[in-house]
Amino acid sequence: MYRRLLININQVRNRLIHTHNTRLTLPSTKCKERESFAPVTWAPCTARPLGTSSISFSENKESSTSLSEDKGKTPEETEVNAEVNTDGQRNTEMNEGTEISNATLTSQLETEPVVKPEDRKQVETTKSGKESLLELLGAMKVEVTTVRKIRPSKTPRMSERPDQEPMESTHSMFQRAAAEGSQQHGTLNPALVAAVSAAASTLPNRHQAESELLKQLRKHEAIPDTQRRADIGHIISDMKVGKRPNGRSNVRPTSQIRFDDDGKGYTQDRGITSELDGVRRRKSPFTSKRLNLFAAAAEQDALSDLGPTLWDIDLVNQIVQATNQMPRNGFEEMIQWTKEGRLWQYPINNEAGLEEEASVPFHEHVFLEKHLDESFPQQGPVRHFMELVITGLAKNHHLTVQQKKEHIDWFRDYFRQKEDVLKEAEAYLN
Amino acid sequence: MASSCSQALRHHVCKSSRILRVHLQKAWPNRSFVLNSAADQQPAVSSPVEEIVIPKKKTWSKEAVLQALASTVNRDPTASDYRFQDDPYLTPKTSSEFKLFSLSQESGRNAAKYFISTYPKYFQKDYAQPHIPCLMPETLEAQIEEVSEAALIERIQMRKVKAAVDLYDQLQQAGTPVSLDVTNQLLDLICFYGDCDPAQENVPEQRNEETEDVQDEPQTKKGRASKASDKLKAAWKENNNAERIFALLSEPNTHSYSALIRGMVKYGAYSKAFSTYTDLLNNQLKADVSTFNALITAAPEVKEKYNEKWELIVDLLKQMAEQKVKPNLLTLNAVLKALRRCGTVGKSQAFPVISEMRALSIDPSLASYNHLLSIFYKPGAPFQGQTDILQEVMNEVSGKSFTPQDPDDAQFFITAVRICLDTKDIEQAYRVHELLGVGENWRLLGNDFQQNIYHARFFSLLCMMENIDVVLKWYRDLVPSVYYPSSNVMRDLLQVLDTDNRLDLIPQIWKDLKQLGHGNRQTLVEELLTLMAREKQNQEVQETFAECALDIKKMYDTGDRGKVMMSWTAGSLSDLVSVLLAAQRRQDAWEILKLFKTHNRVPSEELLDKFLTCIKESGDVNQALELVQISAGFCLPGTPKLIQRVQQEFLLSEQQKSMLSDLEIQTFNSD
Repeated sequence: MYRRLLININQVRNRLIHTHNTRLTLPSTKCKERESFAPVTWAPCTARPLGTSSISFSENKESSTSLSEDKGKTPEETEVNAEVNTDGQRNTEMNEGTEISNATLTSQLETEPVVKPEDRKQVETTKSGKESLLELLGAMKVEVTTVRKIRPSKTPRMSERPDQEPMESTHSMFQRAAAEGSQQHGTLNPALVAAVSAAASTLPNRHQAESELLKQLRKHEAIPDTQRRADIGHIISDMKVGKRPNGRSNVRPTSQIRFDDDGKGYTQDRGITSELDGVRRRKSPFTSKRLNLFAAAAEQDALSDLGPTLWDIDLVNQIVQATNQMPRNGFEEMIQWTKEGRLWQYPINNEAGLEEEASVPFHEHVFLEKHLDESFPQQGPVRHFMELVITGLAKNHHLTVQQKKEHIDWFRDYFRQKEDVLKEAEAYLN
Repeated sequence: MASSCSQALRHHVCKSSRILRVHLQKAWPNRSFVLNSAADQQPAVSSPVEEIVIPKKKTWSKEAVLQALASTVNRDPTASDYRFQDDPYLTPKTSSEFKLFSLSQESGRNAAKYFISTYPKYFQKDYAQPHIPCLMPETLEAQIEEVSEAALIERIQMRKVKAAVDLYDQLQQAGTPVSLDVTNQLLDLICFYGDCDPAQENVPEQRNEETEDVQDEPQTKKGRASKASDKLKAAWKENNNAERIFALLSEPNTHSYSALIRGMVKYGAYSKAFSTYTDLLNNQLKADVSTFNALITAAPEVKEKYNEKWELIVDLLKQMAEQKVKPNLLTLNAVLKALRRCGTVGKSQAFPVISEMRALSIDPSLASYNHLLSIFYKPGAPFQGQTDILQEVMNEVSGKSFTPQDPDDAQFFITAVRICLDTKDIEQAYRVHELLGVGENWRLLGNDFQQNIYHARFFSLLCMMENIDVVLKWYRDLVPSVYYPSSNVMRDLLQVLDTDNRLDLIPQIWKDLKQLGHGNRQTLVEELLTLMAREKQNQEVQETFAECALDIKKMYDTGDRGKVMMSWTAGSLSDLVSVLLAAQRRQDAWEILKLFKTHNRVPSEELLDKFLTCIKESGDVNQALELVQISAGFCLPGTPKLIQRVQQEFLLSEQQKSMLSDLEIQTFNSD
């Protein structure tokens, strides 16, 4: 029953941590989501009937382990460790850690005697598809960020350890976590309410806590599913780019797990914490929800094609005035002159200074026979002469095509005028 | 010819194969270039079509070579600005010189342009081949005399508001129709200049330059004042030419309305702008994006409460969406700028606005971030718990190169560094400074004045937060090649020297101070003297201190440019004397001691005591007696003690003894 409840709560798990005992509940929340994702996304892992529950158990155990071992650690950090499992590269190391710590601690945890044998399965599950892991990771980020808001802000460069709080006994914590998880159930059914009061009973101010928890649950009910999806999408997309170089400059390499001398547990890894800090920070205000006033693909209305108006010119002017346009060295001054047209532009290819001829293909320059059409005699000395002329013109790179044509036209006129003389000399054969 | 022929053929082949390649690339979008070429080398087993891979043609802009060359030049911290490198004599040493020289350069240019444009007939010879238009005189007089639409267009292009309006009226009276486009341009012109002729850019304005000279330091005031005067001078007048001409239009279109509304907003007729907009809607027209931008700018002016302002803006945005007008960056910036005046609403809505624009693939410019920072950090307000906004913004922008897109872009760096200074966040300040070095971002630092503000803030923060070595590193990097510190900033620097116990650097700093033109700032100089006199340093340092002190004394004597700016105070004189005494320069100190008398200042007893000790070391009895006389001359209460010391510690002749006892009686009597 416990498990079923947990699966159900997946819907609202994200906002759970608004409740004032946030930190204590965290590890279990995370376990739940892992569990709930498992059957859906980790399809490749076949025939593992106990898989889902085992994960949650091992997770719980892991967190409780670390908590009991090292009072200094906040659940957040524990969670961080758990998340490493999802990261393909590091999972083996991490799982070793989990196994060993589990092995050493089974005796301490009488509440969950089942745990140990199933632990191996987790190793396999963690190696499944990367995308599902990403999604999972993303899903976890959401709650992590909300937690962040409660905490004092940190500078991005110095990722110190989050402040640490002493923990109660792991046993009671686990129970409470489970109870709290259960109260998130969507419809707020009686069982849930009972769970809430059970959870609240563990707190000093019982009634207040209870009412707060319930209120919180109802609030989360209202949040539509789609919106949360969008959030996750945001985060995942952020995660892909989110490797800031200074994010973990001053911490140890990630994926490091070191065992204590007595072999009872492992020390926390700060690298991931800081990386997560980075992710959280990246998520931050700039990815907040939008106003949703405009449709995303609003088409551009092509209204003003009249060229720049006075206003546009003025805007450009203002921008130029506001910015620093002073050249910093001789080259920049030359760039400025080039733009103003005061300086002959630096040649960047063989066609510098070819502005007016740039659009004329070269064959217009070279093949000039077509201009010697019927207006010239087909053979004879005149034709011969003109062929020499066009050969010369073809090799002349100083003239534009237009000038070459004019040149030929001049000869055409000339020979036409002298036609009589030429005919008399029998030079003009048509 | 044959070769060129084959070239042509190859060219053709290239072209077609490029087309082919484009098609192939479409077919295998994921294949990289390297993979393709590798596949080509294999015999045609894998791909049936033999493929020739030709690298894409890269088009270079005409400045490409120069840009590449320019990128190799780094800033030289020992050199002055490039503007001043032509003439070493004109290398500015102080901020006022910097301003003077750069302005005179600019005004010289303007004067030349003015003459060329006023007397074009003397400048008709065109030496340049090819022709360079920007060197030729501009035509300032209208060429077309007759009454026609062409003449109107010409006047509009020359921005002659009055002449254009007159001509339009004449055309109307003559019954000649004027096309809607031209009328719209005319409306643009009138609205843009608020129905006044624009001030000629090239005409030297005597008044402006005078005010510039007078308002030496607070240039911000000048900027604001001139803006304010612009507004005062040109308010939107009821029924001005724009409205009149607009009313004459039978079918005004979007452009006409846009011109009118923008003009109204520009010249402060905000509610009128909104009513015109209602008019536009009633006429079943759509507004364009610039109209909306203008209206959003005007929105905070027409409503009182924060909520109402914001609702009006949202309403406008909704109407934009309804009319299918795509917002642009200026819309985003206008909204954010309006949110600056919406108090707490601004804080809650700023980020959703940015997200909205992001969703429309409008990337914020530096102006957007500037507005964002201004929304969250009001000057003078407490800064608790908001530091992370600056962090967020820096996370967003760092490493990016921005191009100027909005006139407010240039405000970002100043705002950011102001916040760093207010929150004392040196980390972020370094990031801001780093951002300045990326790409062309330095252009966005703005004009000389803004650069000065930026550097002043940055450097003050450094002085506040960093140790002396780091501060000096930056000091050498920035001063004086880009930044001429004010006397206040220099005082900060002195304080850093003091806290980090590097007083031995004072003589160096004094040299800089003198060069920066702060040698005549009395408070600064006095502080310098106090610092030097306060503790006894080792011999070498004392020696340099003494030199420096004498140099300072010269400054008091001659002043700057012959004017004596500073007057001696008792404190500064005694500091000077103690510095000189500590360096065993008794003679110089003695000269200074005499200055007390000439400047009517009274030395302290401790100083005279110290002096006497120093005299005793050399055993100069006469000077000791003179000292006692001086002390008696000032009627100092400590004189008897001094007399006693002299009597005890020095070997005195009879005459001297009697003189001393005379003095003793004298002082006793005067008491």
